[in-house]
Amino acid sequence: MAVIENNVGAYPVSPHANRGGLKAGQNRIGLLLLLPAAVAFAAVILYPFLSALGLSLFEYTVEMMEPRFIGFENFYKIASDPDVWAAFWTTAIYVALTTTGTLAAGLGWALIMNQPFAGRAVLRSMSLLPWVLPSTVSAFIWGWIFNSRYGVLNAFLMELGLIDYPQAWLSTPEGAMLAVVLTKIWLSIPLFMSFFLAGLQNLDKEQIDAARVDGAGNWAVLRDHILPHLRPVLMIVVVLGVIGNLQQFDTIYALTGGGPVRATTVLSVEVYRRAFEQWDIGFASAVGVLWVAALLPPAFLYLRMLVKGN
Amino acid sequence: MFDLSSRQAKIVFFAALAVIGFFLFFPLYWLVISSLKANAELYRVVPTPFPTMPSLEHFIRALTAGKLPMYLMNSLITSTCSAALVTLLALYAGFSFAKYRYFGRQPVMLFMLSAQMFPFGLLLISIYPLMSEMNLLDTRPGLILSYIVFALPVSTYMLYSYFTQVPDELIDAARADGASDLRIFHTIVIPISIPPIVTVFLYSFMWSWNDLLYSMTLIVSDEKRTIGPGLLLTYLNEVNSDWGGAMAASLIASAPIVAAFMFLQRYFIQGVTAGAVK
Repeated sequence: MAVIENNVGAYPVSPHANRGGLKAGQNRIGLLLLLPAAVAFAAVILYPFLSALGLSLFEYTVEMMEPRFIGFENFYKIASDPDVWAAFWTTAIYVALTTTGTLAAGLGWALIMNQPFAGRAVLRSMSLLPWVLPSTVSAFIWGWIFNSRYGVLNAFLMELGLIDYPQAWLSTPEGAMLAVVLTKIWLSIPLFMSFFLAGLQNLDKEQIDAARVDGAGNWAVLRDHILPHLRPVLMIVVVLGVIGNLQQFDTIYALTGGGPVRATTVLSVEVYRRAFEQWDIGFASAVGVLWVAALLPPAFLYLRMLVKGN
Repeated sequence: MFDLSSRQAKIVFFAALAVIGFFLFFPLYWLVISSLKANAELYRVVPTPFPTMPSLEHFIRALTAGKLPMYLMNSLITSTCSAALVTLLALYAGFSFAKYRYFGRQPVMLFMLSAQMFPFGLLLISIYPLMSEMNLLDTRPGLILSYIVFALPVSTYMLYSYFTQVPDELIDAARADGASDLRIFHTIVIPISIPPIVTVFLYSFMWSWNDLLYSMTLIVSDEKRTIGPGLLLTYLNEVNSDWGGAMAASLIASAPIVAAFMFLQRYFIQGVTAGAVK
């Protein structure tokens, strides 16, 4: 649908590529129309980004009036700081669990919602709700479910006989991680589902009918037709999911504050704490630079997919 | 897609439906149910599956006793302004990318889009001193400007994808009649683009409405605080946790965005998944 045309060369690739006016005067208007967005972009996105990259080379704490250039010293400090390494490790676990979890549940739910049955339309609309709720609200909901004294999770598990006494989920490293991961999976399922449903729309039904005539069962149809068809969407969803999960802050901060101790301190929480609780701006920026480095591979993949137009 | 005529297929299908459906909907159900329970029923080790004596006390208290109405009003102001600002900027930029061919167009667009990948938390480190220098710290305009970060890149791309589908003939014909490009855009293109414009507005509104990080950092005074940090500070702080109040306030704070979304979800889904799926 939306393909970024490749027409940088002198000879347009597609007969449509150069339509829409090429006259110099018109292009000046085009630039003029872009100007306001470009200025806003430069001021609140590009400049802060470059400035943060630059600050990683400075010592800049709350006591200092002016930042002082110290080269790569912040990075040397990071190299010997076990807390930062732990944050990287925690982030890796968080991203892996949330991405795979959402992928499985989102794909499953999209396949279910693609099947005609009574009440599907209502269910489909309602399943988008977690996505639009404010992050604080999502954190409240899951914090209440996981509550150690009155939480429904404890009551439920005790009813089933899986635990003998209430667990203080959010006070244990594993329990807190489980809570933040489930929260993120829950609120990402709608987006993943939407992508998959959009991909399923143009699935060739005749091909599947033909396969059925040849005796293919449900699993064979899923394995040989539906999943291969969804492959490009799957790639996009995984890449976007990784990018989003790497950046997640709000629900984690509201639910656990990065704790207990540092069990759910992912990079976003680490950078926030260093910058806005300890006011060690230089160090926080340096951690942020490594954070960006972690985002580069999925970002590159995403852009490549966009340029290719799938 | 699946053939559910066999009993086994039916069982697998509806079991999966039940498991994922329960995971998706039970938390929402629990939010609503808990908000309707009076404290005596709410704080029980074995919770009741639905309120035996439904009570609106938490809602009444949230709307009358606390600062929730003020936070809601603040969120409404900042989110509306920032959504309007983002939509306006994205509108012209998207049209420019879609219908003009100037040097550097594609790289600039890709670069803007890739900015989605700059971590918001990292940008905040430099936005904070920037706002401080311009005396915009702890002000609504400062927060509104900062919210551009969230939605401008994707909004621009969403509108760009839409505008590429507007036939060039339409624009060329108007040009032949002597209309200026700006006039063509305002009187011909914008009127046929209302659904995507509304989508983009809602998309950026949602980002601002749901934000916690930026508001929590850039706003200090209580009277300008938005719902994200407002809810957090009011209902779950070191001194007390008022879960019933938190649930009721959550529902109130979610209502506007959910209502808007329900009306416009079809456009919304199309817009957000545009570009990713052929």
